[in-house]
Amino acid sequence: MPPRVDREKCDGCKAEEEPLCAQICPGDLMVLGENKKAYCRAARDCWDCMSCTKVCPVGAIETRAPYQLGYHVAKLIPMMGTNTITWTCIDINGKVERFRYKNRTT
Amino acid sequence: MSKPVPKIALFIWDPGERLARGLDLEALLQKFSKAKGVARAEVIADPWSAAWFASIKEDLAAGRIDRILWVGHFTPQQMKILQGELQPAGLNTFLHHWCDLEEQGILLAGIDQGVRNRKVLALLEMALARTRLLEPLEPLELPASEAMLIIGAGVAGIHTAASLAELGKRVYLVEKESGVGGKVALLSRFYPRLCDPHCGLQHALDRLHASQLVEFHTLATVMSLEGGPGNFAARIQKRPRYVNEQRCNGCGVCTGVCPVKVPGAPGDRDVFPQAGASPQPDRKAIHPAFPLAFPPAYVIDREDCLAGCRECEQVCPAQAVELNQTPEEQVLNVGAVLVTTGWDPYPLDRVAEFGYGRHPRMISNLEMETLLGAELQRPAPDFLGSGLREVGFIQCAGSRDERHLKYCSAVCCAVTLKQALTFKELAPEANCYVFFMDMRCPGFNEELYRRARDQGVIFIRERPTSVKIDETTGKLNIRVKDPILERPVRVDLDLLVLAGGMAPAEGTPDLARVLNLPQNQYGFFESHQQCHPEESQRTGIFVGGCAREPMNVSQSIESAHLAAMKALKFLQGSVIIEPTYPVVDKTRCDQCKRCVEECPFGSFGFDEKSFPTPDLARCRQCGNCMGVCPLGVISLRHHTIKQTAAQVEALNPAFMGEGEPVILAFLCANDAYPAARAAVDQGLPVPPNVISIKVPCAGSVNNALVADALSFGIDGVLIAGCRDDQCHYVRGSQLVQKRSGDLGEKLRTMMLEPARVRFESLEIRESQRYVDLLQAYIEDLKAMGANPFKI
Repeated sequence: MPPRVDREKCDGCKAEEEPLCAQICPGDLMVLGENKKAYCRAARDCWDCMSCTKVCPVGAIETRAPYQLGYHVAKLIPMMGTNTITWTCIDINGKVERFRYKNRTT
Repeated sequence: MSKPVPKIALFIWDPGERLARGLDLEALLQKFSKAKGVARAEVIADPWSAAWFASIKEDLAAGRIDRILWVGHFTPQQMKILQGELQPAGLNTFLHHWCDLEEQGILLAGIDQGVRNRKVLALLEMALARTRLLEPLEPLELPASEAMLIIGAGVAGIHTAASLAELGKRVYLVEKESGVGGKVALLSRFYPRLCDPHCGLQHALDRLHASQLVEFHTLATVMSLEGGPGNFAARIQKRPRYVNEQRCNGCGVCTGVCPVKVPGAPGDRDVFPQAGASPQPDRKAIHPAFPLAFPPAYVIDREDCLAGCRECEQVCPAQAVELNQTPEEQVLNVGAVLVTTGWDPYPLDRVAEFGYGRHPRMISNLEMETLLGAELQRPAPDFLGSGLREVGFIQCAGSRDERHLKYCSAVCCAVTLKQALTFKELAPEANCYVFFMDMRCPGFNEELYRRARDQGVIFIRERPTSVKIDETTGKLNIRVKDPILERPVRVDLDLLVLAGGMAPAEGTPDLARVLNLPQNQYGFFESHQQCHPEESQRTGIFVGGCAREPMNVSQSIESAHLAAMKALKFLQGSVIIEPTYPVVDKTRCDQCKRCVEECPFGSFGFDEKSFPTPDLARCRQCGNCMGVCPLGVISLRHHTIKQTAAQVEALNPAFMGEGEPVILAFLCANDAYPAARAAVDQGLPVPPNVISIKVPCAGSVNNALVADALSFGIDGVLIAGCRDDQCHYVRGSQLVQKRSGDLGEKLRTMMLEPARVRFESLEIRESQRYVDLLQAYIEDLKAMGANPFKI
């Protein structure tokens, strides 16, 4: 499922030409609309990699988790620490699971 | 790449055995002497003994230890002494870490001994984690110019230029008018001594003449300002004077032949029946500099010249007239900038109810100054002969008014008293009426008020809602109800003075743009009135006089001097930068520019590859860039994200035991930390559940650190900073509140309680409130239950 951008929260990364989600998306799918809010321009091409969700500095992007994890429309929410990622998965029955990982990139 | 293992010396200092009463120090030493990186651990008996010092120095020299973790309570003075003593032995001052257990509430009464023991372990683990990551740092020394740019050559600018020149600093005075002096040159008298302001101006100019270091640029405007503190490059544009400044000696032959007569302000008004007493007299197209005939060179208003006329050029004995001059640009290299652009009168025609401009005998207080000034110059002043017998003053015309200037212009009361007294002195039989809301004469100015009453000036505490012009008599009729006598008052005035207020100088918005200098809600360049009144929100740019706030002449001079005093730091030929400046990790930065946007002091620029780069001289080291960076790749040195993250990771949230929440508090070093510290010192019941980390500003706390804390099982994260309007770095508290809000939203989606993360503002003496809010917080956290990430 493609990322959904909360228009209230998205600030288009302020004065930037290319917001962080657009910079990080491996498929080059995120773009800024005319209202200076980001959106996913080709929902069907999204791989659910969640890079945009993780990088968004104001937490405006949500990815509905794909099938295996918690069935459609489960939520999978990352929270980025300095060198950890904490995942919260809420499945369709409202069951919450949480995982913490050390980030390998730092 | 693996770093060499640090060699930490862990010293516990426990004078009076305060710690030993509650803790088993020997057991602690036993445990921590085996911790990673600890090379030496001991309880020190006397840190001031020579023998002990010698042993540390020996260890340092032999490379057995390379950093020290001090455990115990050290005063700032003691820290400085220890750092200073060990520096010559090769220990960088930044390789010390101070862990004050008492400050974390370890010794407070009523704490369970098990909790106490476990909390000490947690605190020491945290301290060690940070100590391992300490780096040796040296201050930077950047080359700097020794010159100062002063914008605005009014009374504040001139006096300050003179003082700076006496200190041996080069000063460039940039003035948009043809002459110096500013508004003060237009005044008749100074209060409270009722002396001539030209005397003070002349005195300052004489001081300037004595120096070779001051350069005047009249008819000049600042077009751009590049660079940073210590090394500004100001590009100024000089409008043509059409007279060579070096050659002209001010003989005035040219004005004799000039055929153009320009009527002086205020145009056709006949307030001044006597010839030659007009406030700004008629002048020729070529005339002396204005407002003060300094520099002595004349100036030509080319737009007033007759086409093809070259009379002045032909007659000038010094051949100084140069009608072909064009605008010139010049770049001035300076270390700091002082803005003394002063004020302009608030346009009184906007105060419609009085009808300024409808009648020639309704004038502003500034026009009254020139009228009095001219009259004082006359050999036999005769106001009564001119038909000025009844004179009224309306105070606060446009000031303290929701529709106009919301503030008090600070000087108008005293100005009116001065004008009424002067008028009475020149025409004792005349009647002066003052219509006012409140008379504000702080300090010794009360004397003026008393004298005015003694002299028979009539004060009426009511301002007219309108002024009627009697067409037959030409008088200005005022009808009010005197609230004290409780009866109507009718006065028919020959002259009405409106005490108009001070607005920021006309060119202020343009200058704000050129200097990238924020204006406050009233348009003045004011940023932090209590702590740093002279500072602007741009390091290296200082503000003095009425450009900052309405004030009187002596306060203007004082404030500009204060600003110059602070600016001296950037005029020493080099600027010393504390080594705790921010560093951007360019390998991980993705150029999102958020730091550039949110730095309260505009200190970020871009390098040649478009990476954000702080101008270190401009930076105030508040760390808001570190807090705001979405990727956490900006760090203040010595307060790096990694160091703090290591501390957070080392915090074992199990120390409180089952059912008791643990709070990590990030405390702003300015207000919240001293408040918390005082709470412990006063023996207030600070809950043991909290562990605090001191940060330079609440705004420097990155959300990633809060996320870390939560994901390691800490139940609540408190960020405490100054109140919004008290933040020492202007916007830190605001920025962190916004971010905590964002994080709270995210927690909600994660099925975590947003209230686990809190921002609180604390004033420096709110120790009791700190304790109260912690207790309430703990109750809330208990109600929420343990953090689900707690293992």
